[in-house]
Amino acid sequence: MNTVLSRANSLFAFSLSVMAALTFGCFITTAFKDRRVPVDIHVSKVMLKNVDDFTGPRERSDLGFLTFDLSADLQPIFDWNVKQLFLYLSAEYATKSNSLNQVVLWDKIVLRGENTMLNLRDMKSKYFFFDDGNGLRANKNITLTLSWNVVPNAGILPLVAGSGHVSLPFPDTYEITKSY
Amino acid sequence: MLSMFKTIPTHMDYKGQKLAEQIFQGIILISAVIGFVYGLIVEQFGWTVYIVLAGFAVSCVLTLPPWPMYRKNPLSWQPVVPESSGESNQKPQESLKKKKHK
Repeated sequence: MNTVLSRANSLFAFSLSVMAALTFGCFITTAFKDRRVPVDIHVSKVMLKNVDDFTGPRERSDLGFLTFDLSADLQPIFDWNVKQLFLYLSAEYATKSNSLNQVVLWDKIVLRGENTMLNLRDMKSKYFFFDDGNGLRANKNITLTLSWNVVPNAGILPLVAGSGHVSLPFPDTYEITKSY
Repeated sequence: MLSMFKTIPTHMDYKGQKLAEQIFQGIILISAVIGFVYGLIVEQFGWTVYIVLAGFAVSCVLTLPPWPMYRKNPLSWQPVVPESSGESNQKPQESLKKKKHK
């Protein structure tokens, strides 16, 4: 403390310790918060095709096409320890070969300060809903869930499933691809 | 070049050092509390960081330069004892009794 440099050193070290304590406080004020919100998913159209899957040895695999509506109010999730949300819509179903299949169909990043009212109509999925076989045809229980990662300023990275999911049956027949 | 900087007096006396440490700790802790509460209210952690940084800047200005208030209690050294007296290893006891702070 006798020179400018030693004073600057202890001042800086003390400030950093205080900042670390504040960051921990920011984490602890939001650590036990329930970040689930109700989500309304509605599937308006389901189409099933049987197409060539060039990634494997099998000849043809099931490819599903979904058109869905999505509405949720994400405002309660945001607080001072949230930088962004990573939302993703996933489909879960069971087939004969796998008891649990999970396919991500669509995702979206909601940054802090953006519009938090999610109200989407007639959305098409971003990614292909490919099964690794023929497990989609006549599958009676395919569950769509919207989940999200909460990206915080400090602390853990929670993975939350939205309350409200929809289960739907897939058609028994394939859509015939028309070629002209 | 360096010797030019070394000629600038930057030291504080012991009481001044203690005062300086108490001042910067107080300022940063108060700004931390204010920043935490304000950030919690407006739900922006960035404001907390900015307020603590402001406290850091203020305490830098207040405690880094050796302002006169930190030099009010200079050590009273014994006067230079002439060589001829022979009792040259007598120690200045009064000033060492004060509590040393770093």
